[in-house]
Amino acid sequence: MRNFFLIIRKYNFFIAFLLLQGISVYLLVKNNSYQREVVVSFSNQITGQIYAAYADVTDYLTLGITNRLLAEENARLRKADSNSFYDKSFKLIKVNDTLYEQQYEYISARVINNSYTKVNNYLTLDAGKNKGIQRDMAVISSTGVVGIVNDVSQHFCTVISVLNSKTRISSMIKKNGYFGSTVWSGGSPQTGSLLDIPSHAKVAVGDTVVTTSFSLYPQNIMVGKVAEIGTSGESFKEIKVKLSTDFQNISYVYIVRNLLKTERDTLEAKLNANDQ
Amino acid sequence: MISDILINIIRFFLLIFLQVLVLDQLEISGPVNGYFNAYLYILFILMLPVNVNKLFLLFLSFITGLTIDLFTGTPGMHAAASLVIAFLRPSFLHVIAPREGYESTVRLTMQGMGGSTFLVYAGVMTFVHHLCLLLIEAFNFLNFFDLLLRVLTCSVFTMVLIVMSQILSQRSKGGAES
Repeated sequence: MRNFFLIIRKYNFFIAFLLLQGISVYLLVKNNSYQREVVVSFSNQITGQIYAAYADVTDYLTLGITNRLLAEENARLRKADSNSFYDKSFKLIKVNDTLYEQQYEYISARVINNSYTKVNNYLTLDAGKNKGIQRDMAVISSTGVVGIVNDVSQHFCTVISVLNSKTRISSMIKKNGYFGSTVWSGGSPQTGSLLDIPSHAKVAVGDTVVTTSFSLYPQNIMVGKVAEIGTSGESFKEIKVKLSTDFQNISYVYIVRNLLKTERDTLEAKLNANDQ
Repeated sequence: MISDILINIIRFFLLIFLQVLVLDQLEISGPVNGYFNAYLYILFILMLPVNVNKLFLLFLSFITGLTIDLFTGTPGMHAAASLVIAFLRPSFLHVIAPREGYESTVRLTMQGMGGSTFLVYAGVMTFVHHLCLLLIEAFNFLNFFDLLLRVLTCSVFTMVLIVMSQILSQRSKGGAES
């Protein structure tokens, strides 16, 4: 306290000056409209900037909470979106015929994941055990072959795409029945190769290539069209096939259930067993 | 001593009346309006005795400025500017004083201080006062060079009046306005 008075004594001139100047400024701002306006707008500007800076800091500090809230809201909205509903209904196209016994059933499915840029490409469909999907079922689209079911879970299945090095589709030239295997070995997702067509077979560019009944696919499913004819060795042609399925734009497919598959497999298994 | 106080009181009223009734009424119309306003009343602050109490000096300057403010209707404006020169006055006098300092009997006039010293003293004080005053009046730094020009012209005008008053009081030798 003593020091305080000492300081006041020491600087009394300066303190008195500040005091009187303060009174002057007070009178100035209080009584002169122009100066008051300037002071008020200036102080508003200053306080505004301080508040803005404060808000910036608090915004930054609450970023985590805000982020969580937004994420929650996103999740809620996404949940409400029709895309997030699993389509429980499925259409089974079945024909009752007394003359022909039905061999194939078609189950529609949506492509929910798809790749076509790798060497081994797969698709994921939104149909699984709940729709009776099993391993090795054929998958086709309205335009042609798509692949073979590889793995099945409760609601989904993965499909080995035609665009896969493991693919080997038994296929034939539709007009004359010469058959071989369609393979895909990387490169363009639009072109496969038809191997093992004998060199004496008459094939022209534009000929249709379809599946044979030797494969897991039903017969006469479109594979593609002959795009280029070459030779591999002496006895076989090597044919480039333009695939009819556009894997870069595929959203709905059909999974083929072969009702007679078990019967055929059992029979053929016996054959193999006899061979050995 | 009594007469000293009396002289200062008389000078106070004389300068206030001169300022309010004559100088503030001068209006030069046209583009130079505002460039030639004299504020002669600061002469009262400048001519207060050299040994006046510093706090009393501040107080008197405040009262002087406030009195002018009452007449011009700008409370605080002249008071603030006057306070600034009152605050600077002791230090500035100390700077421009001869080595041994001013004796308490020295009068802060042209005659008492010597012509050139008085001109420097009054000139700097006038300039500082006018700068403060016009800055407070404008209350921003837009057109600062225009404002500086006004400060200069007004200071020159005030200085002319101050020198004239000094010469007049010298002529009258010990007249009331010394």
